[in-house]
Amino acid sequence: MPKRRDILAIVLIVLPWTLLITVWHQSALTPLLATRKDDRRDSHSNSRSTFAFKESCSMQNRDIVEVVRTEYVYSRPPPWSDVLPTIHVITPTYSRPVQKAELTRLANTLLHVPNLHWILVEDSQRRTSLVSSLLQETGLNYTHLNVETPRNYKVRGDTRDPRIPRGTMQRNLALRWLRETFTGNNSQPGIVYFADDDNTYSLELFEEMRTTKKVSVWPVAFVGGLRYESPKVNTLGKVYGWKTVFDPHRPFAIDMAGFAVNLRLILFKPQAYFKLRGVKGGYQESSLLKELVTLNDLEPKAANCTKVLVWHTRTEKPVLVNEGKKGFTDSNVEI
Amino acid sequence: MKSVIFSRFFILLPWVLIVIIMIDIDTKRTVRSPAAGRNGKAQQRGVRTGASANQNQSSLIYAITPTYTRPVQKAELTRLAHAFRQVPRFHWIVVEDSTMRTDLVSRFLARCGVQFTHLHVFTPRRFKRVGMPRATEQRNGALTWLRQHRTKRDAGVVFFADDDNTYSLELFEEMRSTRGVSVWPVGFVGGRSYERPIVSKGKVVGWYTGWRPDRPFATDMAGFAVNLRVILANPRAQFKRRGSQPGMQESDFLKQITNVTELEPKANNCTRVLVWHTRTEKPHLANEPKHRKDNVVIEV
Repeated sequence: MPKRRDILAIVLIVLPWTLLITVWHQSALTPLLATRKDDRRDSHSNSRSTFAFKESCSMQNRDIVEVVRTEYVYSRPPPWSDVLPTIHVITPTYSRPVQKAELTRLANTLLHVPNLHWILVEDSQRRTSLVSSLLQETGLNYTHLNVETPRNYKVRGDTRDPRIPRGTMQRNLALRWLRETFTGNNSQPGIVYFADDDNTYSLELFEEMRTTKKVSVWPVAFVGGLRYESPKVNTLGKVYGWKTVFDPHRPFAIDMAGFAVNLRLILFKPQAYFKLRGVKGGYQESSLLKELVTLNDLEPKAANCTKVLVWHTRTEKPVLVNEGKKGFTDSNVEI
Repeated sequence: MKSVIFSRFFILLPWVLIVIIMIDIDTKRTVRSPAAGRNGKAQQRGVRTGASANQNQSSLIYAITPTYTRPVQKAELTRLAHAFRQVPRFHWIVVEDSTMRTDLVSRFLARCGVQFTHLHVFTPRRFKRVGMPRATEQRNGALTWLRQHRTKRDAGVVFFADDDNTYSLELFEEMRSTRGVSVWPVGFVGGRSYERPIVSKGKVVGWYTGWRPDRPFATDMAGFAVNLRVILANPRAQFKRRGSQPGMQESDFLKQITNVTELEPKANNCTRVLVWHTRTEKPHLANEPKHRKDNVVIEV
């Protein structure tokens, strides 16, 4: 009998301690594993997590269970890499009520893209403080330029066939800036992309364009009166035409957001600019591209132009009827 | 005798410790893995939750986004996700106006990089007439989900994020400190550049708006946030469908859970605009053929 009791006593003592030790061991390991897997779920291998997280395991008051705190420390933008080519995003912008909102959400997107250089060109006489402070706050790598489109060239009201397409002078200024800043000897790889401030861009798009050797193209949604317009790609992976309804016989029937150019090509052809005058509606892109490449040299991206990675969204003009002629709200409040 | 007591004590000690620790684990685990339960209208999907949040830590932001299928849906959700990905401790509740979870949204959410819950509630067509409030059932569905899956111990702030608005990242840090219900200015509503609460001595005393300032809460859906505890403490607070007047959705909801005197003004005493009620144009699709002519099916 005493023997059994002894055994019972030993079991009673040993069992809870082993339980405690295993529970302590488990709780020490699994929370760590769980939080490591709980990282950003980026499907493409190139994109990096926008934030690293640090965890602190704290042993509080000799509790066996550890309370694991995960603190997301997001680094915006992602750290600069020496390996990736820089994407120079050229965005013309102009003052209107929704300008700050548009630039804010464009910045929210661009903050996820590594090695990005944002060239923002205002259509104004002077650089506005709204844009300057916005750029500073985002922390992005940027260049802030401005050039005013002369009044008689500007779009009148809501006409759909402008005398001079909006943003042309601004884009040309950015191209000139690039040519002055990056001389031919400088072999920093770069890609140039024209991003209007009201479009929507997926992050995959930027990774697709990074491998551009000359000029790459892809489908764009909501242009030309279609769900999307796209280049026609043959089985050899070459572009041979354009899947559009609106004037498919343009040399490059593509939207501004549908192509990217390697910086080297921009520098190599210093005379290539967007044509200012005498450009028919829809031919603006062609006016630049025909000086840079031929149809044969185009590189189709986005899975041979079968995926839509950029949407030509347009923001409604906000209803401001209650402002009245003189403006009701405090003009010092920036919107 | 003494040795017997000692030995008994030492035998009991580890068991007592285990009991204490079990109770401790229970109280410290504030975030549970979700049940795969089914609701009448809203079906929910398992969601990946973050690690257990210490109660002393600041709250998790729950953004409720009703959405519906239309051409620009994926674009809108994409740029929303880009904003939300930058926000720490964030949980996105997307509620589709549909009879089932659509492929487009499911696939999108799987790769969006944000912690999410994907729900769906269908609004019958008779409620989709001009002038009727929209997304009522979807928002109520999300509130129901929160009430079923969160308890008083969860620290959170609930916010209604429509999919076509624009949010600055600062807004989320402003709302995180909400104890009850907080409010702030919203751009492009009320027929003006912005609408905002009028603040005096840290309290909301009126509303600065261009449309019906006599509303009890003259704010937009994007202009307020509610602490999760308040949502849970008012289990019957819902968005009204019957007898709802246009533009009164927010007021009807907020008066069920708070008073104007209890509102917490944010955004520098409501003098900064951190969210804009932008609207996206319907895209021109006049050139789309009546029947699909392309040889591939591409999701837009």
